[in-house]
Amino acid sequence: MPAVAADECTDGELISRSAEGDRDAFEVLYRRYSRPVFGLALRRLGDRGRAEDAVQETFASIWRAARSYKPERGPGAPWLYAVARNAITDRGRARAEPPTEVPEQASSEPGPPERAESSWTAWRVHRALEELSSNERTVIELAYWSGLSQSEIAEFLNIPLGTVKTRTRAALQRLSGLLEEELG
Amino acid sequence: MSDAPDFRELVGEDLPPEEAERLQRVHEMLVAAGPPPELPPHLQEPVEPEKARDNVSFLPRRRTGLLLGLAAAIALTAFLGGFISGERHGSPFNEVAQVPMHGTTAASNASAVLYVGKRDSAGNWPLKVDVKNLAKLPKGEYYEMFISRGANARAASCGTFRAAGTTEGLRLNAPFSLRGVTGWVVTLERPGSGRHPVVLTT
Repeated sequence: MPAVAADECTDGELISRSAEGDRDAFEVLYRRYSRPVFGLALRRLGDRGRAEDAVQETFASIWRAARSYKPERGPGAPWLYAVARNAITDRGRARAEPPTEVPEQASSEPGPPERAESSWTAWRVHRALEELSSNERTVIELAYWSGLSQSEIAEFLNIPLGTVKTRTRAALQRLSGLLEEELG
Repeated sequence: MSDAPDFRELVGEDLPPEEAERLQRVHEMLVAAGPPPELPPHLQEPVEPEKARDNVSFLPRRRTGLLLGLAAAIALTAFLGGFISGERHGSPFNEVAQVPMHGTTAASNASAVLYVGKRDSAGNWPLKVDVKNLAKLPKGEYYEMFISRGANARAASCGTFRAAGTTEGLRLNAPFSLRGVTGWVVTLERPGSGRHPVVLTT
């Protein structure tokens, strides 16, 4: 049976191949997950430098712990999320700030369950974005996080407005397929 | 979130209801997730994974912190008696640190080098910036440099400028303490738009 190219493998297959020392598989995993890991670390640690360290530690952990992944227990994304979360938590503990004074009023910030849910959503969405073509990802990032209107994106990229609209809709449709599990 | 794009503007009005509902949920997830961060250049490629087997970090480690870098550079400058100088550019500029910047999605081919000068007695950190491949802006628009502190990417402004393609020797100023600075960003400013897309980041 011909070997499947790493780019076409599922996350779980890539983890299993990494466990066997397959560097190509590991590099594909890195390309898919380095930004989601960095995003998760930034959310949790609130510090860019420590988040960068956490990315390195997460992928070192993935490489070392890949043998512990059991495909029959579920897909790769939740396993990778758990490894990342643990590495980030360790990084947080290692450089924990001294406790501050107890606030007098209850915080309006989201509690642990809400934060966990929102972190998981961001993880899945950021991972899915890595699957878009460069053209599609660009219009999504400009529309959602650079605050540009569709006309401004067209002007910015020097492409017709219709092309921006087509790419945006196609990107959302592709994301809808990639996030099928979350959408139910 | 007030900055979220209008869903109907994005997908139009001609979708079947089921499809529209599905894409609306994707839209809401994108808004909730927020932007994926830009990876710094040194984290863009994995290297030497085998080294991780020996519990050695396999990616280049940069984290000594901007302040440590600045402190070391400042100490070096003091040791050399302020000899590191920007005279070569025509006016005095005692450089204590260099910070590379790279383009974001909004300006993927752009890059810059930010030079931090020696703080003067009044507390000003002079800055000099060489930019490459920044788009020429329409009249009224400009770029703005900010220091970042933690999650606050635009913690304090270091000044504004215009550029077209490659522009060297732009002079800016950070008239405040650089303690706690975790990075620098350049935004594109369109007066009245309320939007501040980041075009360059560290």
